[in-house]
Amino acid sequence: MLTKTYKYVSRIWLIVFIIGLAGLILKFATGEKLAGYGSYVPWGLWVALYFHFVGISGGVFAIGTLGYVFDLTGFRENFRVILVVSVAAVITGLFSIWLDLGQPFRFARILYAPNFGSMMAFNAWMYSLFIGCAAGLFWLSLKKEKQTDLHDKSRWMLPLMGLAFMFSIAFPSQSGAFFGVVDAKPFWSSPLLPILFLVSAITSGGAVLLLVYTFLHYKEFDLSQQPFKMLRYVIIGGILFYFLAEFAEYSLVFWSPNSHIREAVELILFGPFWWVFWFVHLGGGLIALYVLWKGKTYQTVGTGAFIVAVTFVSARLNVLVPGQAVAELKGLQDAFYHERLRFDYSATLNEYLVALFIGAFGVALVYFGIKLLSYFTQKKLGTSL
Amino acid sequence: MADETKQKKSISEEITRKDFLKTAGVVGGGVAVSVAAVTAARLSPPPETPTGADTIRDIPEFKSVQVSEESDVLIRMQAELKKALAKPVEERKWKMVIDTRKCVGCHACTVACIAENKLPPGVVYRPVVEEQMGEYPNTQLRYFPRPCMQCENPSCVSVCPVNATWKRPDGITQIDYDKCIGCRYCLTACPYGARTSDFGEYYTEDTPELQPYETLPNNEYGKSWNREGHNSPMGNARKCHFCLHRLNEGELPMCVTTCIGRANYFGDANDPDSLVTEMARQPNQVKLLEEKGTKPTVIYLL
Repeated sequence: MLTKTYKYVSRIWLIVFIIGLAGLILKFATGEKLAGYGSYVPWGLWVALYFHFVGISGGVFAIGTLGYVFDLTGFRENFRVILVVSVAAVITGLFSIWLDLGQPFRFARILYAPNFGSMMAFNAWMYSLFIGCAAGLFWLSLKKEKQTDLHDKSRWMLPLMGLAFMFSIAFPSQSGAFFGVVDAKPFWSSPLLPILFLVSAITSGGAVLLLVYTFLHYKEFDLSQQPFKMLRYVIIGGILFYFLAEFAEYSLVFWSPNSHIREAVELILFGPFWWVFWFVHLGGGLIALYVLWKGKTYQTVGTGAFIVAVTFVSARLNVLVPGQAVAELKGLQDAFYHERLRFDYSATLNEYLVALFIGAFGVALVYFGIKLLSYFTQKKLGTSL
Repeated sequence: MADETKQKKSISEEITRKDFLKTAGVVGGGVAVSVAAVTAARLSPPPETPTGADTIRDIPEFKSVQVSEESDVLIRMQAELKKALAKPVEERKWKMVIDTRKCVGCHACTVACIAENKLPPGVVYRPVVEEQMGEYPNTQLRYFPRPCMQCENPSCVSVCPVNATWKRPDGITQIDYDKCIGCRYCLTACPYGARTSDFGEYYTEDTPELQPYETLPNNEYGKSWNREGHNSPMGNARKCHFCLHRLNEGELPMCVTTCIGRANYFGDANDPDSLVTEMARQPNQVKLLEEKGTKPTVIYLL
């Protein structure tokens, strides 16, 4: 049954990849000319995807580490898979932001000439160190006697895991702080953002991990047992918490007669992209809640996880775009007219196509990463990843 | 034998005190290094801008124009500019005062700035914002040009991940186009929307021929910049720099020179006798979005 699903999904992936590749080629041929963002709303869909993917990476690793340390079924056995998914997600996120740079071939400056006072440079270093830690953990995991052991022979696995766990919690939270430190945008300047970003990272990371388990390890574990049980609870809890925090923020805005972020919240709820909040974010979240709670087959639970993994991008977009779309200096848009000097933003077809490619690229990294490293471990240890 | 296996199992499963201390040490070390890195970055001085006697500029005297009380303000400011340039860069403090009562909203400054800096479509350093007060028929228009505020506490500088922008000793916030990676973080951080990104467009790109004036290099920050082949400043953040390249040659910023209403005052705020200092003392002054804490140096007279 799942083999059939697997076949369908592979075909869909191939179509998405090809369409996305066409968009990517067009992007490289035309630079930023086909993108819809401008100077007043300088960050768009690709930046949202970047934050989404690095969030997934942090979430996957954080949940995976907790499962590993507390010895929940399915985590120690598949820790190397967790590492691959986590690293694949962060690389996908970095690829997404690389495409967004005006001078992409200078990206390495952020590593060799950083300003650590900038949250962006701080984050970039944290991703790099995280990838290094993940590589170290992979190497140490090969030195364990049994996959289900807590320690490797040198007993350095746990300390390194502790450090990587700190990074995995830190960089999604810092993604929130990334916006929180921008005092120019009142909607962003909120201490709630790092918490919201962390929660959405854990939620979407849990969803991706659940998706991986339903696809790749359905034969090994029962749907009503661990690791599915824990992952389902984590995602459900995450969605509920996120909705609660959003309700708290938005209801305060409408309760207050003169809230300074009212315009941004009205844009989210009733602006031209109202459907992103109501249908994609809220609707998607509610459907996922139902499916994850009631789902009795791998397909339904996997679908619920997929919905969360995809629709939680809207959580990022609903922070990113409305924060920029409210002008602090009224009248600026009319002072000098140009398409790039507008306070509204809608992603262009090219941005959507490239977004498809980014998604397909992430899936490919996970799939081929697992395949390739399985080949390696098969040779070295006689077992697959 | 069974005891040995049990003991071995517990060793491989247990988190011993040593494991705990090792983990705490590594994590604590990571936190300490992070804090140290941020602190060092915050305390480190901006990239070096040449200072001292080498920065003194000897601008020739006016030969055909007499500077007196009756002179055009441009002549007086030009003379004061020469005086300011006779000091090292760290002793100058460039300031702009805009008298909104004199601004007629002609946008000549916007256009002159575009021509001077060869700005491509979508890049603007000095738009003129129109503000309408009252309701029809009892309305009044006010115009306020918006250059870069050259803030004393610029929010765009601290967010730059690669130290590509910094505050110069003379008060101008500079961008090094060769360092900028085009992440546009500074664009979001500026409450005035004073930074725009160069998206690589040309005014005449959809016409039979790209006009030569669009491919000419500009001279921002005293260097020749050619955008061809996706070279900087294409893909970079760009903004007003008070025409630093002109100032260094003893010329006023282009917007000041072009203003038909003489609504702009520019000069050295460290010179107590300069016109700009005189105007900056007026009580009818405001600064834009002062509540943001950026301490803009551009002053508006109402």
